[in-house]
Amino acid sequence: MREPIVINNLSKYYNKFLALDNLCLKVAQNENVGILGPNGAGKSTTLKILCGLIRSSSGAAYIDGINVADRPERALSRIGAIVETPEFYPFLTPEETLSYLGRLRGMRGDGLKRRIKEVIDLVKLEEWITVKIEKFSRGMKQRLAVAQALLHDPPILILDEPGLGLDPRGVVEFREIIEGVGKEKTVLFASHQLIEVAQICNQVAIIDHGRLLAYDNIDELEKKYQSLEHAYLELTGGSLE
Amino acid sequence: MSEFERLRVVTGYEFLKHIRRKRLYVILGLTLIAELAVLILLPVLMEGYPDNMMVMAAMLTIGPSLAVIGAVFFAGDAIAGEFEGKTGYILFTNPVRRITLVTGKYLASCAAVILLVIFGYAIVTISLLAIYGEVPIETAKSFGLCLLYAGSVVSVTFFFSSLSKGSMGATVMTLLFIMVISGIIESVLVMAGEPYWFLLSTAGDSVAMVYGGVELFLEGVMPHSGSMLPFEIETPDFGLCALSMGIYLVVGLVLSFWISGRRQLA
Repeated sequence: MREPIVINNLSKYYNKFLALDNLCLKVAQNENVGILGPNGAGKSTTLKILCGLIRSSSGAAYIDGINVADRPERALSRIGAIVETPEFYPFLTPEETLSYLGRLRGMRGDGLKRRIKEVIDLVKLEEWITVKIEKFSRGMKQRLAVAQALLHDPPILILDEPGLGLDPRGVVEFREIIEGVGKEKTVLFASHQLIEVAQICNQVAIIDHGRLLAYDNIDELEKKYQSLEHAYLELTGGSLE
Repeated sequence: MSEFERLRVVTGYEFLKHIRRKRLYVILGLTLIAELAVLILLPVLMEGYPDNMMVMAAMLTIGPSLAVIGAVFFAGDAIAGEFEGKTGYILFTNPVRRITLVTGKYLASCAAVILLVIFGYAIVTISLLAIYGEVPIETAKSFGLCLLYAGSVVSVTFFFSSLSKGSMGATVMTLLFIMVISGIIESVLVMAGEPYWFLLSTAGDSVAMVYGGVELFLEGVMPHSGSMLPFEIETPDFGLCALSMGIYLVVGLVLSFWISGRRQLA
């Protein structure tokens, strides 16, 4: 069976800075994989290439066997994504924003309205559905970002630090949401939070300087390095002190 | 879902964004104030309205200024804003071609600017009817040229918006290009007696000049000044002006398609 996400010898230069260095990664169907790495390791760059936001310098990224660089629209139709800390049009309401994004993906009518209500309920923004987003806090926007990623019920989720800006309760709720929907989806999830990754994902890819340092089951990494924290620090050259 | 349907969706929601912005209503208010200033001050300072209806029509024509103001307000951030404001992280991860997004945004910006232009010409029409009891046919010609001018100015603004990192940069570059650079070159070419129909500032001037050319235009704003000028000013050919506007429209839009299609959201 073809893996939903395949990253093949991906390299990316920002001028002379090498952000990704021949990165290879395959994510199997319904696997939840966390990408861990220090700042500047290449996590966001990898996810942005998968989302068609930037182009790789060499190598290729595939979504369901579709080369993202060659046919971005077809590849993007299969994913729901949160990249960095996204912003929304301040003059629109969550209902209008989700309606806009849903219609761009071919959703319409009662089906779209029903789905908007479902995802708004899921992220607990019911009371804010007709309020302009200009009045929203960072955490509320992040909840809306989760809602738009799930709106079209995509088989693949690509999430870049999706818990950023959420209050502690929001973080817990977010983890529960992703844990729930992640059972039936392929999830690639970049984060700095080891606890978050350990809770949501069953596999972890640790990268640094654009290179893949380890890619294994969390249990295996814990056996080998005592804990996920030890594995992360040892592989990325940090210390436990 | 066809790309045309997606274009309809993008245009509709982008226009909704413009309608929601306070700046649309601020410009409408300022337009009303500007036109009222002409209608009130003219009879007070010049003992009545001009006998020649064409002079009055030309003086009330602020469509080109509205087109420029509308373009920088509605189109300046159309592309640059997606990158600067990070809204592109949401919009560009949808399965829609960039060319469709840019076209939809262009059409929505044009619609918002045209709304302003229609408002301006509605005031002109009502004022002329109230003062002279008729409206010259040239008003329709002026309106048509102004719509084309609006399309070309929005297109040029899109070009700068696709190049700029931020909305402010696109706004400043557009204003510099149309009002300063193009205006200065036009002045030099006019004094040198060389053709200047291809400039965007000339295209803007042509919108009011349809009422009677440079002579009438100068007569309206500076009575008896025409013969005092040390050089002759020829009224630009309106057909050539329309052609130049069409070229600015197409070239600006094609370049903005190309640049925004290649731009990365790093």
